[in-house]
Order: sequence, then structure tokens, then C-alpha cells
Amino acid sequence: MREPPYLTELKPYGRALVDLANHRAEILCLSGDLTRQCEVDLFQEQIPDRFVHGGMAEANMMSLAGALARCGHIPFVHTFGVFATRRPFDQIANAIAYPNLPVRIMGFMPGVSTPGGPSHQAIDDVALMRALPNMTVIDVADAVEVRQVVEAIVDLPGPVYVRLKRGEIPVLFDDDHVLNLTRADVIQRGTDVALVASGMMLAPTLAAARVLGKHGVSVAVVNVPVLKPFDAATICQVVAETRAVVTAENHSVIGGLGSAVAEAISEAGLGRPLRRIGLQDTFAEGSLDGPYLFEKYGLSTQELIRVTWSLLGRPGDPPHAPAARAERGEYSPV
Amino acid sequence: MERSVRASSRGTRWTAEDRDELALRIRLRAVRMVAPQGFGYLGQALSAAEQVATVFTTARPGIDRLVCSPGHYVIAPFAAAAEMGLLDEELVSAYGHNGSPIEAIGTERSPVVDYTCGSLGQGLSAAAGFALSDRFNGSAARTYTLISDGEMEEGQVWEAAIFAGHFGLDRLIVLLDANNSQVDGPIDTITTIEPIAEKWAAFGWHAQDIDGHDTASLAEAIAAADAETARPSVVVCRTSTVHGLECLPSDADGHFIKLPPELAEAALAELTAKLEARHA
Repeated sequence: MREPPYLTELKPYGRALVDLANHRAEILCLSGDLTRQCEVDLFQEQIPDRFVHGGMAEANMMSLAGALARCGHIPFVHTFGVFATRRPFDQIANAIAYPNLPVRIMGFMPGVSTPGGPSHQAIDDVALMRALPNMTVIDVADAVEVRQVVEAIVDLPGPVYVRLKRGEIPVLFDDDHVLNLTRADVIQRGTDVALVASGMMLAPTLAAARVLGKHGVSVAVVNVPVLKPFDAATICQVVAETRAVVTAENHSVIGGLGSAVAEAISEAGLGRPLRRIGLQDTFAEGSLDGPYLFEKYGLSTQELIRVTWSLLGRPGDPPHAPAARAERGEYSPV
Repeated sequence: MERSVRASSRGTRWTAEDRDELALRIRLRAVRMVAPQGFGYLGQALSAAEQVATVFTTARPGIDRLVCSPGHYVIAPFAAAAEMGLLDEELVSAYGHNGSPIEAIGTERSPVVDYTCGSLGQGLSAAAGFALSDRFNGSAARTYTLISDGEMEEGQVWEAAIFAGHFGLDRLIVLLDANNSQVDGPIDTITTIEPIAEKWAAFGWHAQDIDGHDTASLAEAIAAADAETARPSVVVCRTSTVHGLECLPSDADGHFIKLPPELAEAALAELTAKLEARHA
């Protein structure tokens, strides 16, 4: 595991898709008027024959993708996560999820990573996609996982929804890290609290774990790239060794990782207090930058520390998170 | 209704020249709003400046409504309102800042307009809802609605078009900004939306096709739309996302124009000179 500030990569997804599509002729690339933003300008340049402009017509694009999948193609459908899930939900349900077709829906710009306001912030995409039978739901944490996710999902049975950060993608893991779609990734074990994170919240969770560890808290950290099917067994195993659980997701606390963890531990009869870091059942807002929103809506390292400290009943003020320092091209969580 | 457009004072007569100057001021204001960030939705203001200037000088304050369907365009109504003294200077200068209610993409808390939405293709349905409510209430308010040609790719636009046509919502006046621009490039390289006016006519609308940078044509087209008593109206406004700002590079990305400091300075100088020339 690397240390912040993290180096970043540009277009790890776009490159991985082109690499795989070069020897998998079934792969088609559909874009909903966000080609460069979804890194598939590379595909458009290099494999133009299998690139399709869906235009700004998501409902049509999803039903179309379902039919393409019925004919033996593997369509990868690209737009922002919010437009990939909310708007064409009925089409995804009926044309893709119900017939259990191998359409890969790639939703960029998760949660409040965009300053574009409520219309552009995918804060319920995981909840929506988790609710659909047959759907696999993935939220990868860094460029090392992004590089692997295309090959990992291409042959999965049924539909897959993948959340992907847009722009500069931080490198958190070492190069030998293997993205595992069946097992949650236990990064460290501990006995006081289990911090369970997905996607962009892994970086602040690791930062919080470092601070808490220095202040005598024994912290377990679990990265959950696959929200569904959910690896309840691993989560319950880690949680059973601790006294409390904190989940962290760049998403509403309703219906996403926090809900999945709550379901898993309660079904297993594990009575542990749980706190869910995420958007607290609220829409966010437009702003100049994403970090401001992470801070304002409680998706920060400091909030993770504060909530954990209080949940464990530790005395005094919680310790302070280090300032997020990053040079141009680097990434540090707030 | 308290958020309705309060565009011009009652009884004000606006000439085409006045409207041209307002359009110029909208451009200048939009440059000033975008410049601090170095990029933004300037192309939308350049494209829609004359349409917004004409609506703001035609709409009846406190009576008519304004729907700005594509939330990215809301910079233009903000700029117009600021130039007409309808929007606090301090608020306008916080456009796009952290914590500011004057967001770069329109939201539920955006002032000036009655409705806007950053998820494209939904505003016409809301406009039809306003027009239907006005009919129920016996109000003759007009609902001016800005939509963009790219939005025509969304199916919901046509659901609204069928609805408004069927119900003959004649107080609905749509200005359709046909700038042939979407994120992925010129619309006609992505898909085919032409013939635009004929499509709307086929849906039962009174359709006109004009130069969207000509305020005299715009005022005439709106008057003709207002004279309609049985059909909703659409004015297809042929425009460009770089219109009226010669210093922009010809390949500027119309959806999201980059305006580094030197270019912003050149833009301010160019537009200020044009404004001064009008008063010379």
C-alpha cells in the first residue's frame, strides 16, 4: 500500500478497454455524449468500427445495448453514473437486468467528486443498481484496480455496473495488488473498530486508520470493491473481531455500502454499533471543487476520525487528520 | 410566482439596438463570471445572448415565466439579470464559487429563472406544466422556455412536444438554441436532428426558423408566437457558441470554453471596446 500524496494516472480505464477489445471482437463501445470524459476517446480513435455514438439519449442506449447483448455482443455503455442509472432505470431493469444480459454499464464521476450540483452527482447509483436482481455492482478504489476491472468483468454472467472516478486516478495499491471480485479485501486487521470503505473513500479511510492507530486505536480496514454480490462472510469475520463498525462511501448512506454492511452483520446476528459515513440522506450542491463538498458533506478523513473516536467512547477531542497536501498531478484525500 | 422574471419596468419600450447592447453586456458579464476560474459555460452565453436579451426585454415582469431547460445555460439569465439590476452584484460575482447559490449548472436554488435543470431534456415538460397550470387558473401568462438543440436527442423532449401540441398550449413559447454543439462535438457529426422546424410542425407546433443572433428577427418571431391562439410555438434560433467574441480560437470547445488569463483579458478588452463604440 502506497502513502499519500498519491501519484495519479490518466485514462487507466480507457487504455484497459482498448487493450482488451483488441483481442475480444464481441466488445462494443457505446457513448452517451461524454466520450472524452469517460476515457473512450481512445477507443473511438483506435477501434472506430466498434464505437457507437448513442448521443444524449440514455434510455434508448440501454435498451439498444440489451438487444446488442442478445445478439452476442458485449456492450460497454459509457456516461456519467448519474445519467447511467437514474434516467434509464426502467430500461436497465427491463431490457438488461431482467433478461440477465451481459451489458457493462460504466458510470463515471461518482458521488460528490463533481462540483456540478445535484443533477450531476451520482449519490444513489449504487442503491439503484443494487436493487436490481442479477446486477453486479462494483466501485473500484484506485488506478491499479481500474486497470484490472475491465478484464475481470468482461466474462461475468449477467449485467455489471461499475462506478469510476473521472480524471486523475490515484494509485493507492502496489502494482502486484490483485482485484478480487469474490472476496472483500482485508487491508489490516484490528480489534477496536472495523473501517469498511469503497471506491474513493478508501483513501481517507486509510488516512483515518493511520491517525487512529497512532492514538492507540486498533483498526481493521476493509476495501469493498464489489457491493453486490456482497461478501458478507469476510465482513462478518472482520467485524466479529471488533467492537464497532464504521462504513465510508461516496454515496448516500441509504442503499449502498453502509446498508449492505448493516444487512450482513444483522443477518449474522452480530450486534455491533454501526456508523455510516456518506451523504446523510441529502442532496449536495454545486461548487467550485469536489474537495470542498467532501469536507462539507462529511466525507473527510477528519469526519472518519471524529465518528470513530466518538463511537468508541474515547475521552477528549479526536486527533487531527493531517492536512491534505498534493502537488499538481498528485492526489490526497481531504 | 415570487421567483418569476422581473425583466423590464412596465411600459419600457425596447428597440433592437437596446437589445443588441444588452446581448453585448451579457457576453461581457459572462466573460467576467467565467474568467476567475479560467473555464466555464461561456459558449452557452455567447450562443444564447440575443435570445435571452430579447426574452428579458419582452417578458412581463411578475407575470410571465422563464424556464431555462439546460442548466448549463443559466449563466446567460444570470448575466442578463445582473445587467438589468435584477440580481445582486455580490451574488453574481460569486458565480460558481464554493458555497455560492449562484451555481455554474442551474439547480433548484438558482434565482432569476422559474425552472432549470442540469439533467438535460426535462425543462420542456416543466414548461408544459406551468402553461397547463396557467390555463387552469385562467392566467394569460406566457411561459418562455429556452431549450437547446442537443436536448432534442432526449426522448422526453418529444413526450413534452406531443403533450403541449395535443393540449394546444398556446402560451408556451420555446426558443430553441440551435448552435449545433454538444459535448462530443458538432451535433451533425454525432446524429441527425434536422429538419428541426419541420419536426416541431409535425408535432402540432407553430414553428419558425431564424437567425438567433438577430434581435429584430427574434422580437418579430416572439410577437408572431404570442399571436398564436391554438398552438404552442417554437422559434428555432440558428446560433454559434463563439458568436460575438472574435478573440476566441475557432476550435474552442463550445460546451466548456477554456479562458486562460491572457485570453480572458483579450475578451474583456474586445467586448469593452465594442460597448464603448456603441456610446461613442
